Amino acid sequence: MNKYLTATTLALCFATAAQAEGQLNLYVWADSISPVVIEKFAKEYDVKVNVDGYTSNEDLLTKLQAGSSGYDIATPSQHFLRVMIDEGLVENYGANTLKAYENIEARWRNQWWDEKQEYSIPIAYGTAGFVVNTEQYKGPTDSFKHFFEPDGELKGKIAMLSYPDEVIGAAQLYLGIPFCTEDQAEMKKVLDLLMAQKPSVAVYSSDNIPSRLASGEVAAHFWWDGEELKARTKGSPFALAMTKEGMVGWLDSMVIPKGAPNRDNAIKFIEFISQPENATEQMNFYAHSSPMKLVQEKVVYKKENAPELYPEVPIVFSRTCSPAAQDLVTRVWTQLLQ
Amino acid sequence: MTDSVLHVAAEADRVPRVRFWHDLSFWGLLPSRLLMGFALILPIFIIAAVSVATRGAHGGFAWDFNLAGYRQILFNEGWTGELEFTPQYLLIIVRTFLLAGATTLICLLFAVPVAYFISRQPPGRKAALVYLVTLPFWASMILRVYAWMIILGKDGTLPRLLEYLGFPAGTSFMFNDGATLTAMVYTAMPLMVLPVFASIEKLDGTLIEASHDLYGSRWVTLRRVILPLTAPGIVAGAILVFVPSLGAVLEPSLMGGGKQMMMGTLIQLQFGGGRNWPFGAAIAMTLMALVMIVLIFTALRAARREVAL
Repeated sequence: MNKYLTATTLALCFATAAQAEGQLNLYVWADSISPVVIEKFAKEYDVKVNVDGYTSNEDLLTKLQAGSSGYDIATPSQHFLRVMIDEGLVENYGANTLKAYENIEARWRNQWWDEKQEYSIPIAYGTAGFVVNTEQYKGPTDSFKHFFEPDGELKGKIAMLSYPDEVIGAAQLYLGIPFCTEDQAEMKKVLDLLMAQKPSVAVYSSDNIPSRLASGEVAAHFWWDGEELKARTKGSPFALAMTKEGMVGWLDSMVIPKGAPNRDNAIKFIEFISQPENATEQMNFYAHSSPMKLVQEKVVYKKENAPELYPEVPIVFSRTCSPAAQDLVTRVWTQLLQ
Repeated sequence: MTDSVLHVAAEADRVPRVRFWHDLSFWGLLPSRLLMGFALILPIFIIAAVSVATRGAHGGFAWDFNLAGYRQILFNEGWTGELEFTPQYLLIIVRTFLLAGATTLICLLFAVPVAYFISRQPPGRKAALVYLVTLPFWASMILRVYAWMIILGKDGTLPRLLEYLGFPAGTSFMFNDGATLTAMVYTAMPLMVLPVFASIEKLDGTLIEASHDLYGSRWVTLRRVILPLTAPGIVAGAILVFVPSLGAVLEPSLMGGGKQMMMGTLIQLQFGGGRNWPFGAAIAMTLMALVMIVLIFTALRAARREVAL
């Protein structure tokens, strides 16, 4: 009896050992990492990769602040990355000494969110604005006016995101107010604009966007460029509005949370997905622009078939707000939905 | 004399006192005590502690005593920069209580006849019907809410049916308080039906007969005999429905379109985008205190009724 037990235990030990060399836990934007790249990585390095998704930077920040998340890689946007570095939530893994650093397009290196590029390697960038269902709405989309002060067709057919971050940014672009303003009077104007828009809004939600817009439940939705591009390529009648006031920019980077259990595997993965071959595969899956050097002939989304990714209107990147400015944003949002 | 007193005292000392760790029931209950302690009581203390901590600049908190979280429920800086009374959070609290109250009432209206009907069935069918009532619990809550989105949404089951019956096409029943309430009543219904059923089951049929024999009308029988005897089940069901309804997040955001905050979504905002954990914790504590008041009130009334009987 004991012999069998010992044998089984030993067998189990070997079985687990043979299963994977180690683990890697990703906490990234939902459906953002190419499964092909993950599988290739898992096979090549014999690592079991677990993927969890989030749909807002706020969710990620809260989880990291709560401590011991158990995740090895996360992909915050630039304005949240800055907070995470300042609050000591992410590791300095010497990103600028990695091979991956060499593969970053020069213009995306050493930006204000990580001046020395020690904490992060970028993975994707893009814009946020509003997308219309062209079967439901035939009107102009050249200005945020049609979204924030709709008349006719779009009344009651508008959807916003469920949190203020980029939505307030877009409203500020439209009103010509700087991001992260601490001026109460300016933010009151933002509130007034959003309050006037509210009767025309059907829903404030960040889930289920493709089906809500495709079914015609709403005709215009606040959204991201690559998501729209992916859905449009698959046949949905969508168009991203190129608003003359500008669009809200974002750039997501790979970071290693403090206390990550599989730090070495995380660095291996960051190196792996930053190789031109894999970065191209990743971009072709995610449909957002890549800040990495790519294998140009293998890129699926080019200027001809993906104008969304090559906007000619100004792009203004979200900033890291001071606590006072952030409180004003929250106050506007609470009063809007009170 | 002194001697005998000492003697008695010594005697008393010799009585083998049972140490609590010799008591088997202590060890038997230990796992559940630990579970309650770690999973229920400890988190409440943590929330209470965070609610009086100082907020961090970008979320999180520091262990410095501060009542700003509670002050903020009633007083905030206005757009002129001065501290003023702000009714917005009270409004959210009142709305949450109204919605939870409406959910409880509607559940009660449906649950009593349903429970009565089930209790009057033959045993086999009775068991099957009770099983059917609990069936929705087998699917996750988010799936059940999505099911309602498919029923009420654009091109959903209900709008299609109405269209077929000649009503104008393209109506959507989503994204309003009615839709929120529908989903809340649906998810809470079994919690009301089961306790009410249990108390109606125990109802002695001969008492109803006796009431009729004494010329009690149907109304009087219901009011003076059936309701008082089933009150414990109704109260239990009402509490089981009302309390979780106060914390509803899914239904208001998915069905109601997130256009009006509830306490659940307000707390979520404070821990997320609002980056004000102590305020979020203070609202959570306030919600808990209000629930306690409601429960104590109910318990006192129940006790008074018992004395009156």
